[in-house]
Amino acid sequence: MVNLTIDGKQVTVSKAATIYEAALEAGIHIPVLCYAKKLLPYGACRVCLVEVEQMKGRLIPSCTTPVTQGMVVTTTSAEINKVRKTVLEFLLVNHVVECPVCDKGGECDLQDLTFEHEVYPNRFTGEKFALPTDEVNPLIERNMNRCVLCGKCARVCDEIVAFGSYSFINRGFESKIATAFDRGLNCEFCGQCVSMCPVGAILPRPFKFKARPWQLKEVDSVCGYCGNGCTVTLGVLKDKVETIRFNDKTGVNDGNLCIRGRFGYSYVNSEDRLTKPLVRKDGKLVQTDWKEALDTVVSGFAKARAEKGVGIVTGARLTNEELFLLKNLAKAMGTGNLDHSGGESYKGVTEGLFETLGVTASTATFPQVEECDTILSIRSDFYETHPVFGMVVNQAVKRHDAHLIVIADKRGKFGKLPHAETLLAKPGLEVNILNAMAQSLLADGLAITDGVEGVVELQAALADYTPELVAAQTGVPAAAIRAAAQQLAKAKKSAILLAYGLPYTAHSRELGIAAANLAILTGIPGREGSGLYLCGEKANSQGAIDLQIVPGKEALDSQSMFQAAAAGTLSALYIVGEDPLTSYPDRKKIETALDKVPFLVVQDIFLSPTAQQADVVLPAASFAEKDGTFTNAERRLQRVRQGIPLPGEAKTDYAIFELLAGRFGKQVSFTGPEAVFSQIAASTPGYGGIEYGAIGPQGVVWGGDLLAVKRRKVVAVAGGKPVETPYQLITGSSLYHNGTVSTRATGPLAVIPSPFVELGREDASTLQVKEGDLLTLRANGVEIKLAAKIDTRMPKGVLFAPYHFSSAGLNRIFTGQAAVPVEVSK
Amino acid sequence: MSNAAEVVQEQEIDLTAANEVIDKYLHMKGALMPVLQEIQEAYGYIPEPTVHLVAERLNVYTSQIFGVLTFYAQFHLEPRGKYIIRVCMGTACHVKGASRLGDTLKERLGISHAETTEDLKFTAEFVACIGACGMAPVIMVNDATYGNLSVQKMSEVLQKYQGME
Repeated sequence: MVNLTIDGKQVTVSKAATIYEAALEAGIHIPVLCYAKKLLPYGACRVCLVEVEQMKGRLIPSCTTPVTQGMVVTTTSAEINKVRKTVLEFLLVNHVVECPVCDKGGECDLQDLTFEHEVYPNRFTGEKFALPTDEVNPLIERNMNRCVLCGKCARVCDEIVAFGSYSFINRGFESKIATAFDRGLNCEFCGQCVSMCPVGAILPRPFKFKARPWQLKEVDSVCGYCGNGCTVTLGVLKDKVETIRFNDKTGVNDGNLCIRGRFGYSYVNSEDRLTKPLVRKDGKLVQTDWKEALDTVVSGFAKARAEKGVGIVTGARLTNEELFLLKNLAKAMGTGNLDHSGGESYKGVTEGLFETLGVTASTATFPQVEECDTILSIRSDFYETHPVFGMVVNQAVKRHDAHLIVIADKRGKFGKLPHAETLLAKPGLEVNILNAMAQSLLADGLAITDGVEGVVELQAALADYTPELVAAQTGVPAAAIRAAAQQLAKAKKSAILLAYGLPYTAHSRELGIAAANLAILTGIPGREGSGLYLCGEKANSQGAIDLQIVPGKEALDSQSMFQAAAAGTLSALYIVGEDPLTSYPDRKKIETALDKVPFLVVQDIFLSPTAQQADVVLPAASFAEKDGTFTNAERRLQRVRQGIPLPGEAKTDYAIFELLAGRFGKQVSFTGPEAVFSQIAASTPGYGGIEYGAIGPQGVVWGGDLLAVKRRKVVAVAGGKPVETPYQLITGSSLYHNGTVSTRATGPLAVIPSPFVELGREDASTLQVKEGDLLTLRANGVEIKLAAKIDTRMPKGVLFAPYHFSSAGLNRIFTGQAAVPVEVSK
Repeated sequence: MSNAAEVVQEQEIDLTAANEVIDKYLHMKGALMPVLQEIQEAYGYIPEPTVHLVAERLNVYTSQIFGVLTFYAQFHLEPRGKYIIRVCMGTACHVKGASRLGDTLKERLGISHAETTEDLKFTAEFVACIGACGMAPVIMVNDATYGNLSVQKMSEVLQKYQGME
C-alpha cells in the first residue's frame, strides 16, 4: 500500500493504482474523457491533468501516472482549470456541436465538461469536421464529426472483445477512428463501442430519436437470453423498452454485453407477441378469454389424467419462482412427467458432475477465471455460446498471459490470441481427447490421485485412449494432447469450461464426466481460484437444475414424452416457453408427437411453430415483464425486475401456474415472488438462508465462490466414433442468436437474418460454391437447403449450421448426433 | 460477417510474392513494417488482398494495418505508375515557377498530385523540398533528377519517358 495526499486529504491505496484511481477512491472528482475503468490507461485526452509537488514544472496526466509514496497531488487550481479549459476549447474547434439532435445530449461527457468549465465563447475557431456518417448497418451509427479521439472504442474492441474493428487512421487533422479501409462497420455488433463512447460519435441506431436520456426510467434486470446472467438495465419510456442502458455498477458483466443483450431486447416490443389466449375451434386457433381458455385446459388435462397421462416440458427462461410453481402444479396434476430443455443436454451436470463430484453446478465463479493461468475450453472457444464470459476468458489471456487450450471441431476467435492454441479435432471426439489427457496424466504420474476414488478402474479403462491412439482417431497430434495435459497439471489456478444446451445433445453425460475427471486429476475442485464450469444455454438453465425440473421416479423425460405422444401412449402435452418443433432434435418425431397427442397446450410469448399445433395457446410474459430470480451458470442468483406492463391480456407464467394449480385443487396463492422464494430457499439444497430482499446488485452466489464438492470420483466413459463420410454436419449455437426467441429480435436479425451453413474455403472450391449459394444437404433420406457462408474457420469436410431458425428445417436431418454424415451438393 | 455492410469486390491477385515475404518474417516480432515495405516493393503498391493476408498470417487486426498504411506517406494503396514524377514544390522551386511545371504535367499526361495515368505508366507527386534547390525548379523521375527546368524542357523530359517502354 502507498500513502499519498490528494487535495490535502490523506489517501492509502494499492501501489498498482494510478493517481486518478486513488482520487476516485477518496471521493475526489477528476474530469476524464478517455479513461474507462475496464480499459488499460491510455492518456489521450489530457483532461485529467493534475499537479504533483514532486513533479513540478509540468502538469501530470492522473489516469496514467502510478502513485508513489508521499506524493502530494493537487487536482484543482487556477492553472489546471485553465489548461483543462484550453483542451476543451481545442476539442470544440473541430467538433460539430449538434446537442439538440444528438442522442448523447444530457449524458455526454464533453457536454458536461464544457458546461463545468464554462467553455463559452471559444477563443479559437477553425475548420469543422465534415466526415460522412456511417449509417450502413441498422445497429450502430458512427458520426466521426463528434469524435474526440479518445480511442475508447478501438481499445474496448481490442482489449475486451478481441475483434479489432477500429483503429486510428491518417495523421494530424486528418486523424480519425475508422475501420479497415474506412468502410462501414462490419463486425459482431456487440455495441461495446457504443457503451464506451463518451460523446455522441457512436450511438445505438434503434434508439435514434426515441427519447432523451433523462426521460428514461431505468430498471435493472437480467438478460433473458443465455446463462451468462448479464445485468441489463432497461431504458423504459411510456411502458416500452427503448434501449439497454450502460451499467457497469451492477452484476457480473462489468457493463459488457453482446449483441443479444444490447440489441436483442426488441422482441419484447414485437407486434407479433401473443396478447390473448387462443383455443382451437373447428380446426382453427381463435382468440378467446382467459375463462374459456383455462376451462378448456383444465378439462383437457383432467381427461388426459384419467386416460394415459399428461407430460410437461418447460424451457429454462422461466424464473426460479415460476419453475417452483410449475413443479407444484405438476404435483397437483398428479404427474411426474416433468422435464426441461429437451432433457438430454443438461445431463453433463445432473449426471456427470453428480457422479464424479456430488454436485450439480459449476464449482467457481466467472470473475475468478480472469486470474487463471490455464483455461481449457471444450467444444468451442466459449465466446459463441456465452460471449460475455468469453470476454473474461479473453482478458485472462490478453492481460494476464493465461494459457488457453481450446478443444473444438472448428476454430474460434480466441484461438488466435497469444498463448492460445486450438486442438482441432474431428467432430464428436472431445471425450476421446479428454480421456487421452487423463490417460497421459495417470501414465506420467502427474495426476493428483490422493483421496480420489476409481483411479485404478479409470486407468485400466483408459488403456485404449493413449494420446497416440486418440491422435490417430481425432487428428490432434499426441504431443499436443500431452502438452495440454501437462499444462493443466502444472497450473496453479485453472478453469475447465464446457457449454451445454439444446443443440448439444450427444455425449452430454460423458463430456461432463470426462471434464470432471480431468478437473479432479489436476486438483481443480476445492482449489482457490480454480473451477470447473458447465454453463447452460438459457438464462435460468442452472435454476431449472437447482429446482430439479427433471422427471420424477419412473416418469418420462422430455424425449420419452414425445416418443410416448407419437406412439399414442400419452394423452396430453403441456409445453411452456419452448418451441420443440424448431429446436429439439428429430423434427419428424416431434411432428408426429404433436400431431398424435390428443390434447396440446402451449404457453409462450409468440405463436411459435409448436404453438400453431396447439389446442390451447396461453400468452405469457417476457423477462422484461416479470419479477423474480434467475440463477446463472456460475450459481449467481439475481433479481429479474419488471420494466414494462404485459402486452394485452397476457399473464406471467407465475400467474398462469397459480390459476391452474388452484383449479386442480392446490391453492398455491403466494403473495408474490418473494414469498415463493422463501419456499424455494427452504426446500432447495444450497439456497438455504438466502433472502429475496438480500439479493443485491451483485446477486448472491449460492454455495459460495468456491463450491464444496461432496466427493472426488473418477469414472470411465467411452469416447465417440468419428464420422467417416467426406462431409459431416455439426450444429450448435451461433454468436448472434440464442434459442429461438432471438429470431424475433430485430437486432440479431439485422446481422444474421436467415439460416445458413458454414463451410471452409477448400470445401467451397471443391463444391464450386460461392457465398450465398444454396447448398443441398442430404441425410437419412431427407434433404434441406441452406445458404452457404464461406470462411476460414471450418476444417475440411465439416459444415456448421446453427439451430435457431425454424425455416432451416435443420432438425429434419439432425436427430441428436454429435455429427451428421451428410451428402452435400450445389 | 453481415450483409449490412457494402459488398466489396474482391480483387484477383497472385499472392505468392506476399506469402514469400511473410514466410521470411513469420517468427519475427514487430515485423509489420518490413513486411509491408517488401510487399510494396514486390507489387508496386499494397493491394487490398495482401493486407487481409498479412492480417491473417501475422495475426494483426486489418484495421491496425490500415492505420499503419495511412499513417506513413511511404505506403500506397492504389497501383502506381512505372515512372514516378516528383515535382518539387519547395520554396526555391516555388519561386522559380514550379506550379507551371505542375500545369505542364497536367496538360501533357492528364495527371495531378497523387494521380496515376490509366496505362499505369506515370504517377505524379507534388512534394516538399527534395534538396536540390540549386537546380530549381526541379523534378525527379524515379531516381533521375532534372533541374533548371522550363516548361519547354519539362515537356522534352516527359516526351522522352513517353517514348520509353
